Amino acid sequence: MLKKLITPWTAWLALMGLILLGGLVAGVLVFWKGLGITNLTDLVPWGLWITIDLSSIALGAGAFSLCAGVYLFGLKRYQPIARTATFVGLIGYTMATLALILDIGKPERFWHSMVYWNTHSLLWEVTMCVILYLTVLLLEAMPILANLEWLRKRLPRIAAKMEHVHHYAPILAIVGLGLSSVHQSSLGAAYGVIKARPFWFKPEMSVLFMLSAIVGGISLTLFASMLSSRLTNKAKINDGLIERVAHFVGYLLIGYFYFRAWDALSITYAYDPGRSEGLDLITKGPLAFNFWIVEMLLGMIVPMILLLYKPTRVNRFWRMLALLLVAAGVVAFRWDTNITGFLVLMPYVPGQAIAYTSYKPSLVEIMTGAAIIAYGLTAFSLGVKYLRVVDHTLVEAEHAEVNVEATEPVVA
Amino acid sequence: MSDKNINRREFLKLTAVGVAVAAGTRAVTSTKASSDAPKGKHQWAMVIDQSKCVGCGYCTLACQAHNDVNPEIQWNKVLKDRVIGDKQVFLPRPCMHCEKAPCVEVCPVKASYYRDDGIVMMDYDLCIGCRYCQVACPYEARSFNWEKFEGENPAVPEWGYPEVERRPRGVPEKCSFCYQTIDRGLSQGKKPGLDREATPACVNACPTGARLFGDLNDPESNVSNALRNNPCYRLRENLGTGPRVYYLPAVDKQEA
Repeated sequence: MLKKLITPWTAWLALMGLILLGGLVAGVLVFWKGLGITNLTDLVPWGLWITIDLSSIALGAGAFSLCAGVYLFGLKRYQPIARTATFVGLIGYTMATLALILDIGKPERFWHSMVYWNTHSLLWEVTMCVILYLTVLLLEAMPILANLEWLRKRLPRIAAKMEHVHHYAPILAIVGLGLSSVHQSSLGAAYGVIKARPFWFKPEMSVLFMLSAIVGGISLTLFASMLSSRLTNKAKINDGLIERVAHFVGYLLIGYFYFRAWDALSITYAYDPGRSEGLDLITKGPLAFNFWIVEMLLGMIVPMILLLYKPTRVNRFWRMLALLLVAAGVVAFRWDTNITGFLVLMPYVPGQAIAYTSYKPSLVEIMTGAAIIAYGLTAFSLGVKYLRVVDHTLVEAEHAEVNVEATEPVVA
Repeated sequence: MSDKNINRREFLKLTAVGVAVAAGTRAVTSTKASSDAPKGKHQWAMVIDQSKCVGCGYCTLACQAHNDVNPEIQWNKVLKDRVIGDKQVFLPRPCMHCEKAPCVEVCPVKASYYRDDGIVMMDYDLCIGCRYCQVACPYEARSFNWEKFEGENPAVPEWGYPEVERRPRGVPEKCSFCYQTIDRGLSQGKKPGLDREATPACVNACPTGARLFGDLNDPESNVSNALRNNPCYRLRENLGTGPRVYYLPAVDKQEA
């Protein structure tokens, strides 16, 4: 009896449930006691939560990039991967929303950003885009959600309607591409326009955020698909497809590496107050391990080699490892970028030296953060089990049914 | 078949481009409007004479009393500047009320805004507590209400009585040039900077007269006079924020 109950699946759900419960308790504490119980300060007002927020949006970027590829550039055969990416994106964006609700001091006023517009603010723009794009993702995910067995049996008409949304996939892909291009880069620009903090104040922030999001987002989707197929027979993948996209990620990594390295190392050309100190923090200071090892070596160079060198790319283990490393590297980039800008304190009293501050997330921040991640993992595993989120055999039938002409490949 | 496909695709592409251009144009025009510098009859400014400041901190206490500020928060902070000879020079730092205020530009909900008279204001009822303004402020002039300020204000009644509502937990707060005093004083026909009833609390509290307050639009106001007749500087002027708080440096006075 007990043996039947404890399967890897139930153990996994139990573990996730435990983390979610801990996060719930911590989250209630945050709403009740306020942000005073976090380790955020007036000098470091954005910390762990904003990193989770930025990272889940970045790693959800596979949705728009792959949907654009499939529905706009005619790479129809990758449609099953785009399906998974859409679901990952939906999870990522809801994770970001959860993190933001925790992070703002007046969560009950979250709707103000939709009513009181400051069109000059990048944060306003990002909020609007994220809300609109979340709607697009929900629509894009309708055909996936329609796969729920219960829904198909009990409410077949609604399920059919939801599946019908697939007709509009090309239009949704256009809207999604537009909204994503805007807010993915605007998240970088949100830092890039802050002239008070020279480490951030540069136009290439938007380019870096956009590029890293595309690279990391596609990688996470591929990794999640491969991992699911190893763990359950509910997930059926076409490994050839994944390998080809992974090859493409390898090339993308060259571009990302070039920009990131050039962006960081160009700071060494001349001493620039604040900016040079920031570079010292990430290259020699407390963030050096993150920068050199997690971001540069493991996040870019190693996976670049693993994905471009055929024997390792074909090998499932090395390919999975490479894809996971890319995603982790993007998270490290978000963390390093956010925190470095805060740690360097620019003096405003003339002639005073640059000072430094520090930040370590508190227990409630870590517990709620872990719960947000656990929510994402739970949602994805439920999707794999009940919604055929990773199912590369599903595609032909679905396409034959709806016959979306606009997605006919232009180039065979 | 292929003709139809291409037409549809082209149509979709054109639509996307059209929408993007329209949105872009609107964004650019309205952006320009929202960051226009305020133009009112009065343009309030503060001049702080560092050669007179003795670092007593009375300004901070008066500010905390009149604006009912949590004792852990200082809207007006007195910082140590250089040492000249054997004399410590101080630098009091209120909000700079920038002409191009980064906080106003970045606020997603317009909770930070310009008054016509140049005061950078906070609408504490609109603010969602995202703290982007704190991130953007080059002068650390904003303090977040991490906790609710409850209980008695230790600066009251010795340094004055509260004139504004306490801010709730979860919003950042900052100096407002005592707008409530200015508005009340003006309505009584008083002149801010000359009549105590219309002048910010920190200016009134200063025992050495190191602070001047007045209208930049009035060429005969005490601030206009002080700026005309003395060398002055503003904090982090290279950022182009255009602070309305001017400093008269201590060093020149000593050499003169």
